[in-house]
Amino acid sequence: MRILMVTPYPPLRDGIASYAQQSVAALRAQGHDVEVLSPGPSAAHHHLDLVGPRGGLALAKRVRGYDKLVVQFHPDFFYPVPSSPTQRAEVSAALAVAFRLAPRVEVVVHEIDYRHGRGASPAARAARALWRQVDVVQVHSESERQRFVEAFGVPAGRVQIVEHGAAFVPRSRADRAGARASLGIEADARLFLSIGFIQPHKGYDRAIDAFRGLPAPARLDVVGSVRVEEPQFVAYAQELEDRAQAVRGAHVHVGYVSDELFDRWIIASDVVVLPYREIWSSGVLERARLLNRPVIATRVGALEEQAAGVEGVRLVDDDAQLRQAVWEFAQAEAEPFTAAPWPSAAAGRDAIQAEVVARAAQRRGGAVGAVSAHSASAQDVAFATAPLRRVRDVHLPDPGPGRGVRPFARRVVRKLTAWQMQPVVDQLNTLTRATVESVARATDAHEERGEPRERG
Amino acid sequence: MSARAGRIGLVPARYGDRIVGGAEIVLRQMAFGLQARGWDVEILTTTALDHHSWANELEPGLHVEDGMPVRRFPVVDTTTPERGELERRILAGDTLTITEQQRWMNGGMRVPELYHHILDHADDYRALVFTPYPFWVTFACSQIAPEKSVLWTCLHDEPYAYLDLFRPVFTGSAGLLFQSGPEQDLALRIAPDVAPHEVVGCGVEVPERYDPDGFRERYGIEGRFLLYAGRREGAKGWDELLEALAAINARRDLPFTLVTMGAGEVRPPRGMEGKVVDVGFLDDDERDNAFAAADAYLQPSRYEAFSRTIMEAWLAGTPVIANGGSEVVRWHCERSGAGLTYDDELELEQCLHFLADAPQEAAAMAASGRGYVLENYTWELVLDRVEAQLEAWTEAP
Repeated sequence: MRILMVTPYPPLRDGIASYAQQSVAALRAQGHDVEVLSPGPSAAHHHLDLVGPRGGLALAKRVRGYDKLVVQFHPDFFYPVPSSPTQRAEVSAALAVAFRLAPRVEVVVHEIDYRHGRGASPAARAARALWRQVDVVQVHSESERQRFVEAFGVPAGRVQIVEHGAAFVPRSRADRAGARASLGIEADARLFLSIGFIQPHKGYDRAIDAFRGLPAPARLDVVGSVRVEEPQFVAYAQELEDRAQAVRGAHVHVGYVSDELFDRWIIASDVVVLPYREIWSSGVLERARLLNRPVIATRVGALEEQAAGVEGVRLVDDDAQLRQAVWEFAQAEAEPFTAAPWPSAAAGRDAIQAEVVARAAQRRGGAVGAVSAHSASAQDVAFATAPLRRVRDVHLPDPGPGRGVRPFARRVVRKLTAWQMQPVVDQLNTLTRATVESVARATDAHEERGEPRERG
Repeated sequence: MSARAGRIGLVPARYGDRIVGGAEIVLRQMAFGLQARGWDVEILTTTALDHHSWANELEPGLHVEDGMPVRRFPVVDTTTPERGELERRILAGDTLTITEQQRWMNGGMRVPELYHHILDHADDYRALVFTPYPFWVTFACSQIAPEKSVLWTCLHDEPYAYLDLFRPVFTGSAGLLFQSGPEQDLALRIAPDVAPHEVVGCGVEVPERYDPDGFRERYGIEGRFLLYAGRREGAKGWDELLEALAAINARRDLPFTLVTMGAGEVRPPRGMEGKVVDVGFLDDDERDNAFAAADAYLQPSRYEAFSRTIMEAWLAGTPVIANGGSEVVRWHCERSGAGLTYDDELELEQCLHFLADAPQEAAAMAASGRGYVLENYTWELVLDRVEAQLEAWTEAP
């Protein structure tokens, strides 16, 4: 069969590109004649700017010579970012022309906004008309399937669930020891790994915070590149690096990651941490599964379904659970601050108090404990940041257990609003910690200058 | 027993007996050397011969060329205007974002059919040997089956080498073959976590005889001359050399003409008119004769991973005068004792004065060069090392 696959493609480093390459290899191995069309120049046979209605119409001119069109779909490949309802309607209409002209169309949906299919607006009607042209829609989970059918009015029989990692093959031949040696990781390290494109919704800052305070030989490595040089993404990468500097054992590696290097990191790891704030489904989870590494992941998007029946995946609901999971995996208790015994009572109450403060700072992982534990500065920093540290983390209310209408309604409301509320919650907690750190640094700097400061 | 079992694919971006380019020539000789030792060798390359135009000049498909199976794939060249700008920024030392680096890499020549051949048939090969590192073919195709990918790296201390894009290639391949100690040192500076690697040197064919007088006669060359062999282009230091020679000649009329062989336009500057003789592309025998006939061989390139031409000069007993900006060439000159280096025009001038004033001393200095090459860089020695690494880094089928 002659197949045209529309997709980002290597050597562009991209999760969908990597997924597509492995699909192409599998199809070609089955004897199909597969050509690839990518949105930009790559190892694909053809490339075409697909954004906007012109992209859809240009694609329409290409599809007739093939028996099947396979599209690895992400809205950004086709719809301008941002795009107005009118633009969305135009793009959907143009793509519908391409899909109608192709003898058979299969679309693998990697991400989509269901809202764009709902309602009676022209944009929504165009979106539904577009998806009705598709013979087979492939998603990675049952919930995606249900939502897709509901939002876009596609007959349920046309929406198939395919295992995310169905065509995945290992890209590195390294063993754990070799991978670690090549990456400069100590052989005895307890390695937590967060890997993938660095974007705020990936929540790598949550992994660093969860890791904070774990003693050696635990280490956390956040590995990835900034996919799009949008200011907020670049700022997020910088924020991660700054944050990691204040956390002993945390490392951020921002740089190009090939497929091989990606797998090598996973092989080197003891556990993969996916602290996503939002995600559809996770290619990293599939690679961890392929390479037999346990995963700690947040229960967002369709991860729960993706992880169903997969051994070694632990799902968590919030930062507290994430931290608990990380610490349990490390099988670690906080490192004793010092081998020295507690000060005796004869040393005075202030000495004991200083030790309390110092040990607590150590537990926090150095956020306010970077200074000498017994110094006056440590106490001053602790004193200055105390009011902020007393503010506890915010969490979404637990809908609670039980059956019946009310618990069910609470769970539904939580599910429906979590995608909006969770980022706000995370941001609040992030802001609190950032404020603590800022005050700590300012206090420390104040001390270093030897400037006297009054205590209330 | 894994020895010599399995097919070795050698993957240069260009291949042919008339290609001017160190890496391509070496890979071709290596292919025949490995084949002669019993390896199943195949060349995977493009239908292009010119690395500027990348025009598809040859037929695609599998052919046997001089007994060597060669699979050629067409080049797709959709060079974008942005690529030139990105290239300029790279060479100026700007930091490019990863996406910009990727656009630069994909913005020039590409070979999708070759990529898909390897995607489909990687399992048919025990090892795939790529060269040189910055080409799209190496970058894109070596990552399809990295556990089989071996780089004939050709690493130079140049801005490209520091691009983030290449780090995974340097660190994730099955192995990297280096031609000299300085090349290996550079790799370790750029990527301390570099993949398994070994200095294997580079093979040089040892001519059985030389005919310097015949060369002079056939090309009508009289008097003393300096020789330059290779690509006549800025990246090889050619333009800089011509300008320096013009300036030196303006100060003192040296008794040398400059004879050059290879590819590219000569473009002599004012002051060098009539003093540059272009003999074009020479076959191997005539090339060797030219080396033997010259008073000295000039190597003006800063970017050398090995410099086969200086070895060819030393085999012919000819002294070398080389740009000291190349750590590799300086290393060879110091180890062999058979070459001088210069770091600016005035030092080049003094090297030429020495050559003009004391030709016998210059020849005596060069005498140790031949032994240096024979002790280190015959193909027999180099192929032994290459085979050992291929067997160590890749699995027999």
